[in-house]
Amino acid sequence: MSLVFIKQLFPHTKSFCVKLWNPTVCNVLNYSSKVTATTSSNVLNDLTDWETLSRKKKISKAMKAYLERSQEHDQFMKRQEFEYNIGKRHLANMMGEDPETFTQKDVDRAIEYLFPSGIYDPAARPLMKPPEEVFPARKAAEFDEAGRPHHFLFYTGKPSYFKLMHDAADNIQQLYSFQDKVLRKKATPDPNGSLNLSTSVWLSKDQLEQVLVETITDLEYNNFKLVMERLASLPHAYRFKDFIEKFRNPIASQKFALEIPKPSYDSDGRAFITTYECLRKKARGDVTVRAPGTGKITINGKDLTYFEDVQSREQVLFPLIFTGMQDRVDIECNIEGGGPSGQSGAIRWGIAWGLRSFVDAEMLQRMQVAGLLTRDYRRRERKKPGQPGARKKPTWKRR
Amino acid sequence: MLSRSWRHLCRRYSQAATFRTAELSPAQHNEKQEGLFYTLNPDLCKQLFGHGGLPKSFKQQTKTFTETAIMVRQPALDLINCIRSSDMSQPAIRYVLYGEKGTGKSITMAHLLHYAHEEGFLIVHVPWVSEWLRRLPRHKEMVNSPTREGFVDLPIDAAAWLIHFKSQNQTLLKSNDLKISKEYVWSKREKTEEGSPLSALVEHGITRVKYACDVIDALIDEIKILSNNKQCKTFVAIDGFNSFFYPLTRLNTPTKRKVTPEEVSLTTTFLKLTTNDWTNGAIVVSADQLAVPDANQESHFPRYLLYKKGFEHLDPFVPIKVGRYSDKEFLSCAEYYRDRLWLRGPPEMETELKFTSACNPYRFMEQCAPL
Repeated sequence: MSLVFIKQLFPHTKSFCVKLWNPTVCNVLNYSSKVTATTSSNVLNDLTDWETLSRKKKISKAMKAYLERSQEHDQFMKRQEFEYNIGKRHLANMMGEDPETFTQKDVDRAIEYLFPSGIYDPAARPLMKPPEEVFPARKAAEFDEAGRPHHFLFYTGKPSYFKLMHDAADNIQQLYSFQDKVLRKKATPDPNGSLNLSTSVWLSKDQLEQVLVETITDLEYNNFKLVMERLASLPHAYRFKDFIEKFRNPIASQKFALEIPKPSYDSDGRAFITTYECLRKKARGDVTVRAPGTGKITINGKDLTYFEDVQSREQVLFPLIFTGMQDRVDIECNIEGGGPSGQSGAIRWGIAWGLRSFVDAEMLQRMQVAGLLTRDYRRRERKKPGQPGARKKPTWKRR
Repeated sequence: MLSRSWRHLCRRYSQAATFRTAELSPAQHNEKQEGLFYTLNPDLCKQLFGHGGLPKSFKQQTKTFTETAIMVRQPALDLINCIRSSDMSQPAIRYVLYGEKGTGKSITMAHLLHYAHEEGFLIVHVPWVSEWLRRLPRHKEMVNSPTREGFVDLPIDAAAWLIHFKSQNQTLLKSNDLKISKEYVWSKREKTEEGSPLSALVEHGITRVKYACDVIDALIDEIKILSNNKQCKTFVAIDGFNSFFYPLTRLNTPTKRKVTPEEVSLTTTFLKLTTNDWTNGAIVVSADQLAVPDANQESHFPRYLLYKKGFEHLDPFVPIKVGRYSDKEFLSCAEYYRDRLWLRGPPEMETELKFTSACNPYRFMEQCAPL
């Protein structure tokens, strides 16, 4: 990549050096291959080429340093790419699959199989990804061989960010003048032009940083949002729709609404849904919701008195009361493991999950907002050595 | 201020109360009054339950509500029907109340005691057996029985019970119709003459605490004889009866020996009363999980709680189950609590409370307290 880039940088020099075949220049230009002087160019070496020398001197120190860094990075990436491909083939052989059709998805699966990891944070688990994904992208050179920056905002330190702000401000000004024209009836706005902002949100700070390839501060991000909000709020903002939508992300659609199962019917003709794997803490169980019913709750063959304390009973009841179905469905649960709060929490989730098939979309939305359809993945935290509990420290004592 | 209290009063007494019945005599209660509350006369309440008989939490509630209201429930109605229709010349029938914790066995018994009082029964009521055998206040008096070898007396408890007996049967004892059949000699100088009234015997037990246990023993014998002679009809009510059959009591002799219930003289006395070798009476006992330690509360059925010994002692008996509230009873109770301003808030609360309390009367009462 860097090679191509440098070729574009030095169009004249390239033609020139190819003609002359000067190894020193070539070394600068074509550094990725370790060129050794060929015998044919030995004669030419002895000649003093003043033009080339004077040109060579124009390459600034900054450019030189950049070229070196770039070359190093390029080589590094090549090596990584090579290693990755070799590793992928090895992995394919280990898994007994065809190396040619082994995709990244298969790699992930193989890694998960060969290096099972219980580490909590997924980012800390073993992985094997293409090097482009692992190592962050670098900026291309921002200045020419004489050390003069290409970008007019180079000396701000964050040229792309300030270019973006500059453009946005410019667009705002343009919109103002357009509005004036409309008022003076010298221009007509597009009657069909509209900007729909409800289905998308502004890029987050991290995403913006990736787009700009620059790190920005919180303050700068806030300024970005302010300016873009101002732009988007103007009456004829649709004129810069493309510009605005470059910095917006569509909202993820509610996925749970799509996969609601249809209830099956038992011998009495009653609809029922069984939710397996209702988990909370250490409790595991399944919950069957039957409709129509009379509000009968059976937990491991007992009624609600299975739970001694009021809190657990309320946990079980909450989805029923929330949806107003307490008299219209029957609940059967089998639950084991854990304690009362874990068991009741698991049943609560199971009932809410099963009730999805019996409520309308609006109620579903409300249930989702109320957090009924969210699994609670929290587990007991282990005790740490040297202290009495997970977080509790020994009582402080002066001596 | 005045107008507000006036408004309160009007609201409380003018509305057509669907949870209350005006029928104050338990003898007149029937299926029509089921699930409704009736109010006990405060004087009568003090006479019957002044020395125990109502559970502590219920008593606190009556104080808060400034009235003693008891719900007419199916088990009590059944029992009243049974007692009324049974042949009094036959041996006394034993009824065993059983049910889960907090379902109202003691309140049902209180209702029956009121009935027995109305009907003119001689009431022999033990409010809570565990009070004698399992509760250990700091100064629990315990002596070896002077008259019976190997037995333990609880004189103060016995005297307290005699006071309870006296206050419950004030009217019958005052009339002096009940006479003693034989002479009891307590010591060289003290004796109770043959033909002296029953109240004299009771008085003696109260004044001479030392002999209280023996007095109770004599009293029970006399009551059985009187009942057999049809001079009075007797209603026996013993709450927490299964405590008599639990293998151990919490009592210790001065030599730190554990005391079994059979060694307590009061146990033998009251077991004598619950046999069916006498007529003209009714015996209601309750088997309660709360009367035994937590480890032995696995089931609420009489066979488990009474052990084999107690079961065989009572056999044959009529088991009567006191269950949780039915829907109707629950709504009536909730309405009563609302009337007493004990339960406030939106009406949807009842549905939730019904589930969280699982229709258990005691749990319901408990959960309404902070609302």
